[in-house]
Amino acid sequence: MLRSAAIALALLATSALPAFAQWSYVGGNGETVMLDAVPTRIIASQDAAAGLIPLGIRPVAIYADSAVADAKALQGLDLTGIEIIGQAWGEVDIEKAAALEPDLIVAEFWPLETTWSGGADVVNALSPLAPITGPEQGASILTLIEDYEELAASLGADLAAPSIAADKAAFETALADFKAATAAKPDLTALAVWAGEDALYVAATGGASELMDFASWGLKLIDPEVADDRGYWETLSWENADKYQPDLILVDNRSAQTMETALAQPTWTLMKAAEAGQVTDWPAYWLRNYGAYASELAKLTTAINAADENLAP
Amino acid sequence: MTHVIDAARIAAVRQAAATRRQVVVAGLVAALCVAFALAMYLGDYPVAVPGIIQSLFSPFTGLVDRGVDFIVLQVRLPRAVLAVLSGASFALAGIIFQTLLRNPLASPDIIGIAHGASAAAVFVIIVLGWSGLAVSFGAFAGAVLTALAIYLLAWRNGVTAFRVVLIGIGMAAMLAAVISYLFTRARLNEVQEAMAWLVGSLNASRPGDSIVLGGAMLVLVPLMVALLRGLDAMELGDDTAKSLGARVEFTRLGLMLVAVGFAAFATAAVGPVGFVAFVSGPLARTLLNGAGRGFLQAALVGALVMLVSDLIAQHLLPAVQLPVGVVTGACGAVFLLWLLMASGRSGRVN
Amino acid sequence: MAEAQSHHRQKAARLIAGLLMLGAALLAIAMLSLATGARAIPLETVWAALTAYDPNSTEHRIIWDLRLPRTIVGLLVGAALGLSGAVLQGATRNPLADPSILGINAGAALAVVLGVAVLGMTQLSLYVWLAFIGSGVTMLVVYSVASLGREGATPVKLALAGAAITAVLQSIINGILLTSPRTLDEVRFWQVGSLSGRDIDIVLQVAPFLAIGMVLALGSARMLDGLSMGDDVARALGQRIGLSRGLAGLAAVILAGGATAAAGPIAFVGLTVPHVARAITGPGYRWILPYSMLMAPILLLGADVIGRVIAPPGEVQVGIVTAFIGAPFFIALVRRRKLAAL
Repeated sequence: MLRSAAIALALLATSALPAFAQWSYVGGNGETVMLDAVPTRIIASQDAAAGLIPLGIRPVAIYADSAVADAKALQGLDLTGIEIIGQAWGEVDIEKAAALEPDLIVAEFWPLETTWSGGADVVNALSPLAPITGPEQGASILTLIEDYEELAASLGADLAAPSIAADKAAFETALADFKAATAAKPDLTALAVWAGEDALYVAATGGASELMDFASWGLKLIDPEVADDRGYWETLSWENADKYQPDLILVDNRSAQTMETALAQPTWTLMKAAEAGQVTDWPAYWLRNYGAYASELAKLTTAINAADENLAP
Repeated sequence: MTHVIDAARIAAVRQAAATRRQVVVAGLVAALCVAFALAMYLGDYPVAVPGIIQSLFSPFTGLVDRGVDFIVLQVRLPRAVLAVLSGASFALAGIIFQTLLRNPLASPDIIGIAHGASAAAVFVIIVLGWSGLAVSFGAFAGAVLTALAIYLLAWRNGVTAFRVVLIGIGMAAMLAAVISYLFTRARLNEVQEAMAWLVGSLNASRPGDSIVLGGAMLVLVPLMVALLRGLDAMELGDDTAKSLGARVEFTRLGLMLVAVGFAAFATAAVGPVGFVAFVSGPLARTLLNGAGRGFLQAALVGALVMLVSDLIAQHLLPAVQLPVGVVTGACGAVFLLWLLMASGRSGRVN
Repeated sequence: MAEAQSHHRQKAARLIAGLLMLGAALLAIAMLSLATGARAIPLETVWAALTAYDPNSTEHRIIWDLRLPRTIVGLLVGAALGLSGAVLQGATRNPLADPSILGINAGAALAVVLGVAVLGMTQLSLYVWLAFIGSGVTMLVVYSVASLGREGATPVKLALAGAAITAVLQSIINGILLTSPRTLDEVRFWQVGSLSGRDIDIVLQVAPFLAIGMVLALGSARMLDGLSMGDDVARALGQRIGLSRGLAGLAAVILAGGATAAAGPIAFVGLTVPHVARAITGPGYRWILPYSMLMAPILLLGADVIGRVIAPPGEVQVGIVTAFIGAPFFIALVRRRKLAAL
């Protein structure tokens, strides 16, 4: 009796084994991906690659929506041996992707658009090759990086490796410095902007994850009164460039041109902070790992420490 | 005596024209077959010729190799078929307008219909924030509504070709301004998405796209052929045609609707791929050198331009996949420039 | 005979009065352009800024640094676009001739795109030269391609060559913009056509060229009248067709290239205004040219003023407003009149 029960149990266990996946992950869209083995051949979107490569997970291929050389998020990362299978929006070399026989596609889930990085066309083209998953873009870059840590660990990354630990430690230090700097200047206000030839665009904190991080760490960001573009920006004519008077201006640094454009506008200096040179970089939308976050935070901390917090009334 | 000679000469000329038409069609079909074979063969996923053939027949033979079948049946075949169908549709839309309006500039990508589709699609992408099928529907509606608006605005005791072209160009400028404005009002990744759609791409080809477009062509082509009979009378000029009792306005309207249908369905499938509509008609007529109106030949030219452009876009630069619309402009324009240069010898353009 | 002469004189007097009225309207719209903007500034402050500039006043700075250069650019660009449109239509005898149709805008745009993408240029004052070179080279290529072959640069061949070259250039532009969002981001604001953000540097760079172009264009009135009678008649009257077309074309390129360089591609002003001018003056480029030259900046500055106030606190670029004023007007004109006769 006992013996037959044991046999039955053993049978059950073996027959049930294939149903128990060796690897599973709950993606940003809420769906769970299950695979028989830990995936090793990964195709990553450019943002996912920027999150995973510093954690020791090297994808076999990257698809980007622009020239990889221009991608701020990938700067400084070693891409040797990784195939680039897309460098224009909506275009991906599906044959190259298929020839690489991927186990998994990792991208970020965009909650507003309810699609993955790269947009619907690319996702539709890639999804027959392998399941697609990844973290969700949300209210914090720090949370996003932690999601990448969890994903990388499940993929076999050794998060205790010296270079990874060093990056994280550098970030912790930079964060502590940043918090100390904001605490030391309770009256300091900041404004995040993008400068165009036609107008000055003032960013809403809620539209950018890193701005929400900064705010939660004590930086007082001025929010625009009317964010007209689905809550992302307020457009100010250059005649009204002095509508807000912050003590510190953060300028979108995805492209170095934005700062040059700002400096070239005659009414840029209607903002007292611009006149006083209290202007620094805003790492807009592209941060994906501890290393980059640490150096951008350090820049901000320096600017906050140097700024006069009582510049604006 | 002279009558006999004239009749013989006319017969000889007709015979020569018919031969030329057949030669042109045969040449274009041969070129199209070569391009299609190349489209099935070339790619980063290595498949040998027997594998391709076996895969093409796998739905009947049941011999399956998942990887190869995916590449051949799900990637290369839908893409090549959609290129052929959309190229032919754009070309037919173009040559109908160019013939009706008697102006080589009067193709739908210049007189505002493509702009209508584009502005509607960009609105759907940027303002409504939708993607996928909604964009195709938007483009279709935009094309049809713009064509309707142009026709109504040009109507004044009938429409003249000249008024349609001028009003179309006016609409095009206004709609282009709408697109530029939306571009300055959107976030960059939405602009990228809209821009990619505007250029036109075959990358997201699904078998379903070809089925919808093919179905539309099955209805539109016979309609076009029937209406073209009426056009034979019209080509003598409006006054003569009226005196012959042809219902000029009815035929004209019908043909324009058919042309808008071709343009709208093709644009909904692949985006407003530029220049195919503009260039196919003049090219076909140069090849024919006066031996016919060249609708069939134009459709073949359009399919060829589209297919060859996509081959170039996919394989010219090893690192970058470009959307087909980036190349059709250049590819078509090279043909057109050659044609302009050659026109000194052969006589006339269009 | 005497009656015909007096009729002629009457017409000339009427047309001169019209020119004076247009001049007055232009002055009024220029003042309006100084007085309106996204920021409300009282008229007396505007006047004080012009007569007694105070560098510490925000309002005065806005008048001098933003509105004054913008108004001057508007005047220059408008006059240049109107003239170049009229000259192009006359020289090619094509009612649809417009800088954009002959490839000038695409040439300028490609030069700017290459400048931003390859050379990393960011400043409008650098764009000016690029756009200028781009449009000049393109126009030359379009004209030479159209001139190949026996019958020379016929209007249809010019338009086809312009469309073909535009398509080639647009392909290259699209290829670059799709793979470089950084460039797309810069260029989308240039491509819309705007008078804002243009400082006095740009005016100084472009003004000499526009002045030369205007002199050339206004001086070509007689040649254009000759050409308008058809090549054979003009030849019989002893005119050198090729030379006339070449000079007129040169004037048009300088004007359109300079205007595009300063403000970005602005469609429709060059196309519509000469038709309106012709509707008032009747045939004869002696009148069409100065009328176009005064009416176009009225349209352009008027459009710019509207664009500044309709979407506060932002602005709508002038290129969009001109299209939305120009296109319906043009369509109405096409419906009312027969425009074919050129």
